[in-house]
Amino acid sequence: MKKRVWLKILIPVLITVLILLFVQQLLMPKYMTETKEGAMISEYYEKDNHGNNDVVFVGDCEVYENFSPVTLWNEYGITSYIRGSAQQLIWQTYYLMEETFKYENPKVMVFNVLEMIYDTPESTGDSEKREAYNRMTLDGMKWSKEKWNSIAASMTKQEKETDGYWSYIFPILRYHERWSEVGAEDFRYLFHRDAVTDNGYLMQVKVNPVLGEFNKRPLVDYSFGENSWKYLDMIKDLCKEHGTQLVLVKAPSLSPVWYDEWETQIEEYAAKNDLLYINFLEKQEEIGIDWNQDTYDRGLHLNVYGAEKLSIYFGQILKEECGIEDHRSDTELSALWTNKTKAYEARKEQLLLEYQEELDSEQ
Amino acid sequence: MSKRILALVLGVIMVCGLALAGCGGSSDNAGNDQAADGGAASSNAEEYKFTYNGTEIAMKAPVAPILEALGEAKSYNEETSCAFEGLDKSYFYGSFYLYTYPQGDEDFVNMVELVDDTVKTEEGISIGDSKEKVEEAYGADSYNGINAYVASAGEMTLTIIMDNDKVSSIQYAAVFE
Repeated sequence: MKKRVWLKILIPVLITVLILLFVQQLLMPKYMTETKEGAMISEYYEKDNHGNNDVVFVGDCEVYENFSPVTLWNEYGITSYIRGSAQQLIWQTYYLMEETFKYENPKVMVFNVLEMIYDTPESTGDSEKREAYNRMTLDGMKWSKEKWNSIAASMTKQEKETDGYWSYIFPILRYHERWSEVGAEDFRYLFHRDAVTDNGYLMQVKVNPVLGEFNKRPLVDYSFGENSWKYLDMIKDLCKEHGTQLVLVKAPSLSPVWYDEWETQIEEYAAKNDLLYINFLEKQEEIGIDWNQDTYDRGLHLNVYGAEKLSIYFGQILKEECGIEDHRSDTELSALWTNKTKAYEARKEQLLLEYQEELDSEQ
Repeated sequence: MSKRILALVLGVIMVCGLALAGCGGSSDNAGNDQAADGGAASSNAEEYKFTYNGTEIAMKAPVAPILEALGEAKSYNEETSCAFEGLDKSYFYGSFYLYTYPQGDEDFVNMVELVDDTVKTEEGISIGDSKEKVEEAYGADSYNGINAYVASAGEMTLTIIMDNDKVSSIQYAAVFE
């Protein structure tokens, strides 16, 4: 008798939970055709994407749009992955790095120092936009201590005052009003996702030349904030703890502008901590970047042609200065990366086709 | 039995639905959100504004009529923001830069930076002016204790950066929460 009563309660509860989970899955944005940046973080968990990377880049668009792991493989036999997301902040990078060490132990971790300019979630400006960026990094992470800590470090004041943690635990709280926007993509990708990147690299094939020099508007204070320094120290210590070399880079993106005062602080930090730091802005000529051809958005990010040039340049450094091995003689890895290269070439071809159609339609 | 279970499930779903409909939080696809407050409250009389050749430039004001009044810029630049639609634009008019942000189909004033002494604030301050003159215009209380006078009003901030007790940069900026 008691058992039947329990069943009467349990079955409806279970069915309700399942329905709510289904609705939540349906309502969450899929990021497959637009705003692909939102789909990138979760791709790392696919079995072919982790476990054997010698180099892991972690950071914002200055890594995921400027470096091509497939080029690093084809030119140097270097295995790498980019754990990137839009406007990723330094504490998010730290927790992604911490999580990465659960999946593999790369020889090199690459951190792009532009992230140092944001000291708090509020320092990035508009909090609604910040929350949207937070979502693109945090929703894609698997549940773990690192995700929880990253949420705690990332939430804006507004988020804390409203749903707080709950909307990350139950994303339906965040996305429930998307019901009116639900479309074919939401059903198509209800239970699976296509890869939007090539080992974390978000390919762009368009060409939009630089228009002119970006203005270096004077700042009141050029010092990086305490919180940024704290997390950079944590990143350094984390890498040291795992025997991983931390390499600091400044991608060659022309905007946001990189101030000399910022450069000095990073150079001093790198020297003090015996870290390799490469400012690619100073190496543009050696890399061979042509700002009339190698950018898709007027100098903020490289397109695939620029990213391949930069990767060829950086690969040499990874090989010579960091001692990263050539794995092309490893048959298993070679087979894996042959498939990755095929996917990369197919994506490039498809994007070029779409770009050509776009250009044709404009004429 | 099965009808009772169905009724109970529907009941729980309705309760959950009502709870969700009433709860707070942003609603849109995270990737499609845009800057908040676009175009709002741009003509607050308390806010500092920059006026050039009779054209008033207030922060968060729609920029189209301003650009039309200002005429052709000496140079133009644009930036995308990661993952979001729209462009942040900058126009250079020789003595000042005008920066905009997108909101929907329109652009709004984000920032104005004065770069030479041929232009001045409505309170009469221009590049090269003395600390005393700035304090007379904006009060000594606005000094940040390091190198700048920062006057906030409404949804904007006016920042006057000093170098060797002389004004080296004047910046009007929209403030977003």
